[in-house]
Amino acid sequence: MGGEVVIGRGLALESPVGAASGTFGYGFEAERMGNLAGLGAVFTKGTTVAPRPGNAPPRIAEVPGGMLNSIGLQNPGVEVVASEYAPRWRRWGPKVIVNVAGSTIDDYVRVCQRLDLVPEVAGVELNISCPNIAHGLDLGVDPHAAAACTRAVRKVTGKALIVKLTPNVTDIAEIGRAVQDGGADAVSAVNTYLGLKWSHIRGAPVLPGSGMAGLSGPAIKPLALAAVARLVAALRIPVIGIGGIASADDAREFLELGARAIQIGTANFYLPGIAASCAAELRQGAGPA
Amino acid sequence: MSAAPLPESDLGRARDEVATCVGADQLGPGLHLLTLEAPEAARAALPGEFAQLQMVPGPLLRRPFSFSSVDPGRGTVSFYLRVYGEGTRRLARLALGSTVRLLGPLGRGFTLPESRGSSLLVAGGVGAAPFPHLASRLLAKGERVLWLNGAASSDELFPLGLMPSGLARSAQVTDDGSSGRQGMVTDALPELLDGMDRVYACGPNPMLQAVAEMVGSLRPEAPVEVSIEAPMGCGFGTCLGCSIPLLSRGTAVPGLCCRQGPVLVAGQVDWEGLRRQPSHLE
Repeated sequence: MGGEVVIGRGLALESPVGAASGTFGYGFEAERMGNLAGLGAVFTKGTTVAPRPGNAPPRIAEVPGGMLNSIGLQNPGVEVVASEYAPRWRRWGPKVIVNVAGSTIDDYVRVCQRLDLVPEVAGVELNISCPNIAHGLDLGVDPHAAAACTRAVRKVTGKALIVKLTPNVTDIAEIGRAVQDGGADAVSAVNTYLGLKWSHIRGAPVLPGSGMAGLSGPAIKPLALAAVARLVAALRIPVIGIGGIASADDAREFLELGARAIQIGTANFYLPGIAASCAAELRQGAGPA
Repeated sequence: MSAAPLPESDLGRARDEVATCVGADQLGPGLHLLTLEAPEAARAALPGEFAQLQMVPGPLLRRPFSFSSVDPGRGTVSFYLRVYGEGTRRLARLALGSTVRLLGPLGRGFTLPESRGSSLLVAGGVGAAPFPHLASRLLAKGERVLWLNGAASSDELFPLGLMPSGLARSAQVTDDGSSGRQGMVTDALPELLDGMDRVYACGPNPMLQAVAEMVGSLRPEAPVEVSIEAPMGCGFGTCLGCSIPLLSRGTAVPGLCCRQGPVLVAGQVDWEGLRRQPSHLE
């Protein structure tokens, strides 16, 4: 269970354990802290065509068993990632899969076109499900739009193409089938659940604006397992499980359910060595190959 | 984002160690001094750097605190904290012998002077936290150290007895006049600034802004460093939760309190932007 896994297009990961987008930056903090060893993949911060400063604070709030975030896709833009960050990934053991975000299909195409030229990028993960930026087109909740975005990116990239799905839909399997038909090599699920924290002292949401934000952490693990179970039953392509994983046993639950690989997210914030230790623990449990 | 990036903390010294509670003292209403046995942090922590403390069981995210004092010989560190919510309440009640996880040292600390001179340390409320550590390092370098401490009332003042001995001068101010002079630290600041080579400040953001402006007009040759507080998730730059508005050569740049701070040169802070921000995690 803990050895090498293949995620489409020959993308082989030395471990099924990855670090989830938005919880690991571009991997450099973990590199400096010695927490990259043995990981299968680093899924980077959501990357857009142009740099984005992100949302005004406060951006995070804690809730029982989890946290809400509304970061607003702060990132340096694809050019910096491709030309300045990627060369620093060259000697890494973990594969780097760049998470890609945008407002229009054209945004995704442009970012993926640029990344296709970068040898250090092992794959792209389309974030068609970020709840924290306003856009007219909700790509992640409309199966036709999700398929169209996947198809458009498929035409411009030879890299492994993973589509990260939002759980904030009626039927996640329907979206999964649509992106599978659009040419995705794998899906990853789930992104954050829409949540809100209210301050009755102030009579207002804790986070700015409407207060809507993405809920992550152990609180969502049963919800994520249910979503992954539906996807595994509905799809031919691999499913990468994400949602509240904070231990090797949590990871095993997703893998036994049928996920090909998993990503550790929020736990990286409070247990910075957790992804590496889970990878090591699963590898030990895997026994001789 | 075209302005020169501000320097970032070095994460390479941070260790995640199990720390044992060897002291938990209430110093005032909601104010506590927590002493932990944490040999690695005690060896490594520099003044103004912080640790992320995690209680198990406890809230999901760790809570950040400046190192208040370090004793490398005993292998202990202490944290001066105010109870804000669940996380700090549980830390304040930590039983002797129980353990927490300590990740640190993190962040950029205070700049220690190259040559001997005079330093003024200005603290408001729980902002006294990093100063015992800073004062002892400065005194060890032969620096002349002045201490200005303000709080709402006498029972909320950081005890003078917990500062290292050898301070050249110390002054106290309270909002209600129950101890020392009545007023705010800025009321007592002008008379202490004469001859100061540098000023270090920690406290509520409006106080830091007022101190920075006052030093800038009365003693412009003295650099001011401030330790800023912001709601923090991870403490090492990946959650992007502790965004603070900074200036690089006058141009606004987004920064992270945990990587570019918590200690910043006053001129690197966009004070008006910071004024609109919350100061701790809700």
